[in-house]
Amino acid sequence: MPPDSTPPKKVEWTQAVRDYVSRAFDSDNIIEGISKEETQVRAKEIIQYFAERNMQESIDWADYPLPQQLLAEERKRANAAPAVALGYGYANNAHVNSSNGTTNSSSPAPPQSKKRKSQGLDDPQPRPTETSIPPWRKTNLEARITYADGHTEKRHKKSAFTEDTLSKLDQADLEKRKQRFQLGKNGNKSNGSPLPDVDMPTGPVVGLNQSLEKSYFRLTAPPKAETVRPLRVLEKTLGLLTKKWREENNYNYICNQFKSLRQDLTVQHIKNSFTVKVYEIHARIALEKGDLGEYNQCQTQLRALYTQNLGGHPHEFLAYRILYFVYTCNKADMNDLLAELTPTDKANDWIKHALEVRSALALGNYHKFFRLYLEANAKAYMGGYLMDMFVERERLTALANISRSYIAVTIRFLTAELAFEKESDCREFLESHGAQHLIEEMVDASGTHLRVKVKGGASIFESLRSTAFSKVDIKGQI
Amino acid sequence: MQAALQPFHDAHASGQAWRVAYTLSPVPPHDDPGRLYDFYRASNEHQVEGDIRYALKYSQTSKLPPKESGAWTDIFVIYWRAVGEILRAEEASNQGRMNDGQWINVYDAWKEVANAIIKYISNGALPPWTVMCMYSVGNHLRLFAMKADTQLAQVEPSVTFSTGLQDDVVTGVAKNNKLEEAARVFNKMFALCLGDRNPDINESRKWGVYCMANLLFKTYFKLKAISLSKNVVKSIEAQVDLPMFDLYPQSHKITYRYYVGILAFLQEDYANAEQHLTEAWDHCFPESTKNQELILTYLIPCRLITKHNIPSPALLAAFPHLQNIFGPLVTCIKSGDLSGFDNALLASEPEFVKRRIYLTLERGRDIALRNLLRRVFLAAGFEELKEGQAAKDRMRKTRLPIEHFATALRMGTRGEGSGQVLDDDEVECLLANMIYKGLMKGYISRDHGMVVLNKKGAFPGTGV
Repeated sequence: MPPDSTPPKKVEWTQAVRDYVSRAFDSDNIIEGISKEETQVRAKEIIQYFAERNMQESIDWADYPLPQQLLAEERKRANAAPAVALGYGYANNAHVNSSNGTTNSSSPAPPQSKKRKSQGLDDPQPRPTETSIPPWRKTNLEARITYADGHTEKRHKKSAFTEDTLSKLDQADLEKRKQRFQLGKNGNKSNGSPLPDVDMPTGPVVGLNQSLEKSYFRLTAPPKAETVRPLRVLEKTLGLLTKKWREENNYNYICNQFKSLRQDLTVQHIKNSFTVKVYEIHARIALEKGDLGEYNQCQTQLRALYTQNLGGHPHEFLAYRILYFVYTCNKADMNDLLAELTPTDKANDWIKHALEVRSALALGNYHKFFRLYLEANAKAYMGGYLMDMFVERERLTALANISRSYIAVTIRFLTAELAFEKESDCREFLESHGAQHLIEEMVDASGTHLRVKVKGGASIFESLRSTAFSKVDIKGQI
Repeated sequence: MQAALQPFHDAHASGQAWRVAYTLSPVPPHDDPGRLYDFYRASNEHQVEGDIRYALKYSQTSKLPPKESGAWTDIFVIYWRAVGEILRAEEASNQGRMNDGQWINVYDAWKEVANAIIKYISNGALPPWTVMCMYSVGNHLRLFAMKADTQLAQVEPSVTFSTGLQDDVVTGVAKNNKLEEAARVFNKMFALCLGDRNPDINESRKWGVYCMANLLFKTYFKLKAISLSKNVVKSIEAQVDLPMFDLYPQSHKITYRYYVGILAFLQEDYANAEQHLTEAWDHCFPESTKNQELILTYLIPCRLITKHNIPSPALLAAFPHLQNIFGPLVTCIKSGDLSGFDNALLASEPEFVKRRIYLTLERGRDIALRNLLRRVFLAAGFEELKEGQAAKDRMRKTRLPIEHFATALRMGTRGEGSGQVLDDDEVECLLANMIYKGLMKGYISRDHGMVVLNKKGAFPGTGV
């Protein structure tokens, strides 16, 4: 369902309203620190708010506080205490706490008796694989995600909305956001009447929407309770999504649904183990599909969520982060990350593997790198997906290297060294990179061999290598 | 108040900027530990402005121009309030109740001092030499900001969660709020120095450019916003009418060189880094061992990359800390002991990572490897003398079985720490790397299982 079912109406403004606006912009009423633009935006919101509810007649506009006064007041309050929505009909904090309580108690979750079992499915450590194909190769996120069905919210602590949820910083963020919307305002004017295009310092919304699926829309106005799904619906949604993902494997649909799921969590200020789980699953799906932009967003969120000790799999994602920095060649962040590693982190298999990948590449040990790549595949590390992102680049590096130190090598040697599955793959790789002229057939006692006169390709490989390294550009990168 | 401001009059009359800056210090001088207290007790909130105005205006020893006198009055009044906060904070810390945010108050009060100086310098009420006072005030602001942030970190949650319309839960990881704010103040100071249009260079604020830049560097490094430092360097380099770099005070120049060197180092521009760091090293005050140590911390890894040089034992011996962290590495590089190198790197990893030299030092393993391979080459001995060939002209053997290198590598990587088993292909890979990186000249022949080295200069730069 659309997020905003009541389009702004076109209205003739009364004289009282017009006076109110002109008073707002009167130079006598300017308050220091509040810009004209801010005043304008706020005035629009106020009028819009009452107009939408057909209340503009019942308001005493002559006595209604001016927008800049409201802004000044709000800022003062935001510094001291959480801003109470100024008569805009949003739940204030006290209200939310109580209603959150009811949500929890009325949720149909059974008592957590099989916790171990559901956790077992949730376990990030790779399970022994029955087939020769690594499980992550055949897109079976299903196993990882199924535990979500009927998961209880036992561990969900009632989110404590403390006094400082609206800190100074949030206020600054809001202001920044206001400015941004200010710029895009022209595009928003669809039918002549101003849209409420700015967020208010809202308390958390309490969702009322019961539908499981919802398309993602970027919020441009405070969300309406009717469009937001409460936690217990969201939990069912996650179950549905994981099922759909394994059945349909439609990434666009899944990504969109996950974004709306994340949005609903955010506007309701839900920060618990469920939030962590949603982000982790979305991150894994994005990783599997190579959507690094979306993956990166989840990774950033997860990093902050892990600091809150809400559970989840910090080690798994720390390992991904190492590989991610390898991919982006971000030395500064890699250094900071190394500085944060604890001995416990380093003892973890996933992290150990990621660190070895890093050091192998740092020393140019391509042999070891490709062994580690195969190991990731064999052991079903999802980090293998991240390694896929730079394996081609490293193949070119290795070729540049080999072409300087050998005169000729067999295709068989290259296939093994560069972790190609088949010799034909290796040959295809060489041909697609303009090295077909280097391949020659050799006949000797033991049969026909394909050889690559690598020496002649040194300059080709070297230039391919440097182009491959120059184009690491990912949206959403921090 | 007259007496309390006498040091200021003396300093002002002496014409030495640093002495004036000293009278605005939040730290009492060694010979007069009670100075802040006396100064604060010389007045009270109601009368402070009048007291200071009077004391500055009717001094026996110096006559300030009225405009300047007004500016100093305002600055000293604000300073007086800041001193009050400092004394309160010190008192609180003496009584062991340092959790009420005193340092935050000190920081806020001191920020006012900084802003007042900026204001009066930019409107011309204070003469250009006062940029040195501005620097000193700024430097203390940096220290207070760090203290305030430490205190803030104890009260505030480190992560802020979105309350607006963001799609995601977390909006930011807040830390070092005050230091970030201070960085903006320093930026203003820097711009004030850099943007002076006074054509008379003797009366220019441009003399403060490098020390303000250094203050910004220190702050950005602390904030882990190192990349912002590049903007500072860029804007300095874009200025055409700065006084000659050589004319600036040594302390400004060396610190600036040091930071520019590190910036180049972190961008892996080792040649540039080496040049700047060497300059800094050459001119560093011989008694500033701490600074010398800092410079060497980067210069040593830098030389390792650019020139494959390792520091001499004599140099390291002069710096026990460096001897501690670099000594084992250097020994292992020299002897080609690979697992020893790995262990030494691991042992000092926290320190190396903190200094951001870990990823550079790691590459020293190549040099250790080169030295090991070189030993294999030397051990292979010489070709037999041909007829009529003099003994001094005899050639070293340049065709060596890969197996020899493999044996040496396996000896080099055995034992604790490396935990790696080298297979033959990996040995080849390592040899290929040496050739690719130009540390060894030659090629590998897989068909014959041989490494064919150049007859001349098989290991460039090592005499063979």
